[in-house]
Amino acid sequence: MKNKSVIPFVAATASLISGGLYWLFTRYPMMPEAASAQAAHVDLAWNGLLIVECLIYAVIVAFILYCVLAFRDYTRAEQGDKFDASRGHLVEAAWLLGSVALTLALAALGSQELRALIGNPEADIDVEVRAQQYSWEFYYPKQKAFGAKLFMEKGKRHRLILTSQDVVHAFWVPEFRIKQDVVPGKVISMIVTPTKVGEYTLLCNQLCGRGHTEMQGIVEVVEHEAFEENFKAGDF
Amino acid sequence: MTKLIKALAAGIGSFAVLYKLLLGGLGEQGASVVAYLAALPAFLLLVGGWDALRSYAAGHEPEELHGAARYFGYNVDHKAVGVQYIAAALLVFVVSGTWALVMRLELSHHGIQFLTPELYTTMMTLHGIGMVVVALIATAGGIGNFIVPLQVGARDMAFPRLNALSFWLLPPAVLLLLATPLMGGLDFGWTAYASLSTQGSTPGKQLFLLAFVTVGFSSIFSGVNFVATTLAMRAKGLTWGRIPVFTWSILATAIIQLLGTSVVAASLIMVLFDRMLHTTFFDPNLGGTVLLYQHLFWFYSHPAVYIMILPAFGAILEILPVFCRKPLFGYRLSAGAFIAIVVLSFVVWAHHMFTSGMWAVLKLPFMVNTELISIPTGVVFLAALGTLWRSKIRMDAPMVWALAMILNFLIGGLTGIPLADAPTDLHMHDTWFVVAHFHFTIMGGAVFGFFAAFTYWYPKITGRKLNEALSKTQAFLMFTGFNGTFIPMFWLGTLGMRRHVVDFPEWMDPVQLFISCAAVLIASSAALFLYNVLSSLKKGEEAGRNPWEALTLEWTAPSPPPHGNFERAPVVTAGPYEFGV
Repeated sequence: MKNKSVIPFVAATASLISGGLYWLFTRYPMMPEAASAQAAHVDLAWNGLLIVECLIYAVIVAFILYCVLAFRDYTRAEQGDKFDASRGHLVEAAWLLGSVALTLALAALGSQELRALIGNPEADIDVEVRAQQYSWEFYYPKQKAFGAKLFMEKGKRHRLILTSQDVVHAFWVPEFRIKQDVVPGKVISMIVTPTKVGEYTLLCNQLCGRGHTEMQGIVEVVEHEAFEENFKAGDF
Repeated sequence: MTKLIKALAAGIGSFAVLYKLLLGGLGEQGASVVAYLAALPAFLLLVGGWDALRSYAAGHEPEELHGAARYFGYNVDHKAVGVQYIAAALLVFVVSGTWALVMRLELSHHGIQFLTPELYTTMMTLHGIGMVVVALIATAGGIGNFIVPLQVGARDMAFPRLNALSFWLLPPAVLLLLATPLMGGLDFGWTAYASLSTQGSTPGKQLFLLAFVTVGFSSIFSGVNFVATTLAMRAKGLTWGRIPVFTWSILATAIIQLLGTSVVAASLIMVLFDRMLHTTFFDPNLGGTVLLYQHLFWFYSHPAVYIMILPAFGAILEILPVFCRKPLFGYRLSAGAFIAIVVLSFVVWAHHMFTSGMWAVLKLPFMVNTELISIPTGVVFLAALGTLWRSKIRMDAPMVWALAMILNFLIGGLTGIPLADAPTDLHMHDTWFVVAHFHFTIMGGAVFGFFAAFTYWYPKITGRKLNEALSKTQAFLMFTGFNGTFIPMFWLGTLGMRRHVVDFPEWMDPVQLFISCAAVLIASSAALFLYNVLSSLKKGEEAGRNPWEALTLEWTAPSPPPHGNFERAPVVTAGPYEFGV
């Protein structure tokens, strides 16, 4: 292979690799079902990163493959031709500028989604979420009711007020895409807006001791009527 | 050898006796700490520290050791220290790898198979901290000690006695870690977050903290030594523009060790005080703050990953020009990139804390800073790709390892971006996505880099080459096993697999079984490696001074180099990679 064939080779191989990756990520999606308004922001940021990263990966792997195939020297002879390093600085500068621009673009995309996620602190429903080794407890201050599971109304903004009695725990519902450590000595609020009716698993996501694996809870998202109905009998 | 056995017996004996004596008065916590503080110096003095001090006080050169004592004694020769580090790293690698295999056996199927959650967490913590030690010492401590003085044309390190001390601090730390399962186990993972780590009174936790601090001291001493050696011990003519890139990477590493390690040591000592003296640094009920621990811990422990990966970068960029037969592309830029990584590594720590509940305003700067690190890291890739371009590749074993490392680290680096990006990290933090990411950087990058470096410099260390065919087979096996093990973990993580748990939903079973099978490939590759290392000691092809036809100074010395390294003080007249110019 001559040096001239590098562009067609890399273009073809990189297309093959990225095509393969596209198939892989659509056939086996990495994210679970999205069930909250916040999940949309996380998924948008993730998909953007995924596309850029797959392209970078494909091009670099294709380039390495080309070099290994084209420049392999079986003779092990000491080469005679001299290396022309005159354009090296141009390549360095171009690479630096390119990586700075790309990094800033990714950071900009990230900060935009971050602002959307942190954003508005207003909420329709307050829930106090209390963590302890190794269980979750839920209290609804307005309804004055304790719950054995996290009961949520579809489409409403819930403010989860997280506290811990003992060590650091973390609140994670994969379908909501949102995670927050629950820290002893701190009161931390987090907004979640569930968008799909269903039952989900709440996982403790910070190693909290021997029972960490079992520290799970149930999240149930229901429509407005069922939500109101549930609180008529007090605790549930 | 007898000296080592006596010193170990004295150390362990005095620890046991003091622990029993003090148990009544001080309780388990205090007794274990005080007994260790007495047993450690006893061990160090007996193993050879006393002789080193005496020769220093008398103004003598330190004694040259021969026979078994060369590797089992308090040897000040940097080459012996290097071999000791490598041997220790391989030993801990095998032990910690065994823990990983046991964990994989447990995780092959949902539900609990044969481990209790307690044992699983202890094993996971020991696997974590053990492999952290391996990644910290294998290339920087082992290869660095052997090669850096040779590469700069020095007779030895700047402070040879201190160098031996940095190594001999490690065996006590490893013994402490191995003792933790017998003394109550560990339930907090290698990060030892407060207030889980300040809770409970089992002395095992205490030993873990002491071991961590001991490794910290070893790391600081070794950092001082490398900085002084590269600054002050360079041969005539070895100007800044001619320092080999591996030595540049070790210098950068040593700066991080010097600046960062004391902070993590401080945070662990604060935990120790909270546990033992009832201070309240991390107790929110009495005015402390839990997040303080995380800030102090990650202030060091993020830069620590660069202690692991920078020497691997250096080794790869050292290897590529030799087997590409052309100058390293972007030599100056690469050296600058290492220094940039050092600087940036200290302003990114809170990306481990996006979900921690810290002040939300901090998320943005830490996110941007972290993403900035991809620029100097990209420069390392540029140097690698630029060197490959229009080269004359000799596909010898070190080159195969180097290419495998680059392919792995490419995935490791790219998967770091969604973790640096605060919105996506909200989902991925503390899942198996993170586990897969750091195994791709630390194992795929640092450990593969170590194998590349080891294969490359083995002829200098032993005088013989590793068996090429075996080494390439091993590289292929490990690359396959490694990717098979960790690529599926990205999916499991984002789909809901948390870190640090012993059980998972049933639907993950086939994937988990696949991962366990792939992990066996890694183990078989490691076994093949050990066989190759030992058999090539005797049967390997004789290497001569310069088997790879490289141009750096270490290849002008005999293999293995004698005491004092060079027959005549070397003088450098050209750059390190002037192939074909």
